[in-house]
Amino acid sequence: MDWFYVKGILILSGINLMAVLGLSLLTGFTGLFSFGHAGFMAIGAYVTAMGTMKLGLPFIPALLLGAAGAAVVSFFIGRLTLNLKGDYFCIATLGFGEAIRLILDNVQYFGGARGWPGLPVVTNLTTVVIVDVIGVVILANIIRSRHGRNFKAIREEEMASQTIGINVFRYKMAALMISAAYAGVAGGMLAHLLGFIQPKMFQFIKSTELTITVIFGGLGSISGSVIGALVLTSLPELLRTFASWRLVVYGAAVVFIMISRPQGLMGGTEITFTNIKKLFSRFFRASGEKAGGGGR
Amino acid sequence: MKLLELKNVTKQFGGLTAVGNVSFEVEKDSIFGLIGPNGAGKTTIFNLITGIYKVTEGEILFEGIETNSMEPYRVAELGITRTFQNIRLFKKLTTYDNILTACHYNARYGLMDAILRNKRFKAEEKGLLDQAEQLMGIMGLEDRRNVVAGNLPYGLQRRLEIARALALNPKLLLLDEPAAGMNPDETARLMALIKEIRDSFKLTVLVIEHHMDLIMGVCERIVVLNFGKKLAEGTAIEVQANPKVIEAYLGEEEVVVC
Amino acid sequence: MSVFLQQLINGLSIGSVYALMAVGYSLVYSIMNFSNFAHGGVIMIGSYIGFFAMTAFEIPFATAFCIAALGTGLLAVIIERIAYSPLRRRNAPFLYFIISAMGVSIFLENIIIASPIGPTFRTYPKVFGTTPFIVGGVNIGRLDVMMFVISAVSLMLLIFIIEKTRTGMGIRASAYNLKASALMGVNTDRIILIVFGLGGILAGIAGVLFGMKYTVYPQIGNITLKSFIAAVFGGLGSLPGAVIGSILLGIIETFTSGYLSSQFRDLIAFVLLILILVLRPRGLMGKITEDKA
Repeated sequence: MDWFYVKGILILSGINLMAVLGLSLLTGFTGLFSFGHAGFMAIGAYVTAMGTMKLGLPFIPALLLGAAGAAVVSFFIGRLTLNLKGDYFCIATLGFGEAIRLILDNVQYFGGARGWPGLPVVTNLTTVVIVDVIGVVILANIIRSRHGRNFKAIREEEMASQTIGINVFRYKMAALMISAAYAGVAGGMLAHLLGFIQPKMFQFIKSTELTITVIFGGLGSISGSVIGALVLTSLPELLRTFASWRLVVYGAAVVFIMISRPQGLMGGTEITFTNIKKLFSRFFRASGEKAGGGGR
Repeated sequence: MKLLELKNVTKQFGGLTAVGNVSFEVEKDSIFGLIGPNGAGKTTIFNLITGIYKVTEGEILFEGIETNSMEPYRVAELGITRTFQNIRLFKKLTTYDNILTACHYNARYGLMDAILRNKRFKAEEKGLLDQAEQLMGIMGLEDRRNVVAGNLPYGLQRRLEIARALALNPKLLLLDEPAAGMNPDETARLMALIKEIRDSFKLTVLVIEHHMDLIMGVCERIVVLNFGKKLAEGTAIEVQANPKVIEAYLGEEEVVVC
Repeated sequence: MSVFLQQLINGLSIGSVYALMAVGYSLVYSIMNFSNFAHGGVIMIGSYIGFFAMTAFEIPFATAFCIAALGTGLLAVIIERIAYSPLRRRNAPFLYFIISAMGVSIFLENIIIASPIGPTFRTYPKVFGTTPFIVGGVNIGRLDVMMFVISAVSLMLLIFIIEKTRTGMGIRASAYNLKASALMGVNTDRIILIVFGLGGILAGIAGVLFGMKYTVYPQIGNITLKSFIAAVFGGLGSLPGAVIGSILLGIIETFTSGYLSSQFRDLIAFVLLILILVLRPRGLMGKITEDKA
């Protein structure tokens, strides 16, 4: 296995990670499920491409523009849909995700269904890693603050959250916009990795992959999302030799996870120094008891 | 001084009148009781006061401000907090996290402050942590701080819900059947707790209850509802002697009259 | 005018197939309160069963049709047992059901692609003859008539089962309140199996008809996203709503495709979805659910 191949997988994982991180805030921490985030990736991709191709911007500012574009669109979508109940919000995101893709299919300025080729290929491993690290730090800092606690409260008990003074709508909107921005950055990075974008790349199946990754890593866990994104992006690539059977296994695996370990890999906990220390101390305490020959 | 006023409040759900033309006033610093048979509309009134439902007719005034059209979080900001009949704790979070989350209102730092971890964030966050510690101590919950709320014994869950409601430094605390499922011993302790927090937090308390000994023992004034309408109002003794009230409760198995 | 009528007929025809698909969705939703995204995969399998029954085994249409319907009914029940009932047992949130359903859908689609059957498009043999009926200057394909008739008959049978039989009463009670029905002595586990089975049978019929009108391919499941929209349009949980929503969607789509452009045909379905959710989420005839404090 040569480094070039591995690098490619790492870059792809890193790009997916960005989108998964954003979705993790919305789904894992705030409890809102979206099946349309591929749509935000698409917006990010196309707006970033506009930045580099039509406005001559350097890559990073173009990425920020892409993120902003996705966030703005999410604002309008949020205004319309965040008041809907659980299932219906889900369905609405599905609708918007597909609508965005279908609209892009029909806008000839961006190349329509045939896509937009010739984008500068500037995404490299360094950029992706830096962007990801920044993304993780921002998310972690948000979560470990009163705002993070408020997001979690909304996920747990929306009505009670209201009665302790949390402006639920505003927080949901914030979660949606941040998650859209992250997806937008991911889309922009993807566009400038492939040098080419097509609405077909941002279908419903992509949105569900993102949500499945968040669940696989464990709702409410940033480290879970990181590991989830790495594993679920690289595994299919490594199993490419099995071609279509890998998707069969993927589908079966999804069902299997849901029925056996729905709390995902991390089950809502994080990999932090404190937790690692606790894990070690529990482990040593247990073996210490055994060695000492003492029972309780 | 009148803290809360309900004026001709009516709430209709389609054809059903859950609350019909109810008026009463709650004096500041008092402990006020709201009783009535099941389905009388008591929780509906709480939902109307806290903004979860909107009134069909009438006005609700808090410190003279009309709260009819306010979102629940605005009502909480004004100073009214509550507990729920079916305990709506953040069940998967620990005791400490439940209280700490509710303290949020006492900090003002924004998302950017949190992201940048600046001085303002650090100072205000410390304030929240301190407040949470304090509250846990006052409510006697420190030894359970890391227990997941859903695993607490029932009585402590109710106490935690009250602690959470107190985190916002409310002026008016609404308790919805706080003694439900408690034995006489726990009920007595709850009664003492209610009086104590009213005194030390300088609150006004509005209580819905079926446990008559709690109501009669703690409440200075009581309103009785039946089928959504006000049946009687007065002190504990007046209400207990009221023939209409006695009639409404005949056959009501939940009433524990001392 | 005849173009208009022609479009109307086309719309009704595709609408009736959507109706079969959408009713299956709504049936499951009404009982379990979740959107069965695996429904599309079951429809697709039905299409293949019918196709192979007729071509590889040279079974006559009517029998092949029944085999497909029963096959998918069975498949739906198996899916319920494996992918949903473990979740139901532990009271999992509805999202887990949806994810599980998607897993099933991905599994079904790709097992066809990966197997020797492969992703090639297949065409059903022409069963009803190709000369259309000509009524008042309008061409009405025989297939379209048969599709409409078969759909109508199936739906009427379904309505009969639901309205007039004891099992149907159990279904209606469970749709209204699952837990209460269980307490009243309704064998809700059995009801759920029956509902999935019925939904599966409808899916099989829809699959065969769809395959006959268009082609058979593994991604048929994606088309059923439209029928899902139709179910939302009519009101999730309402069977008559699903039918009306489907017919209307079929007509709207055909007219958009005919008078505007076929590019917009798919888009209009999603625009419709968004409009419904924003203006009237419970659709035309759906049930309203309130969150009690």
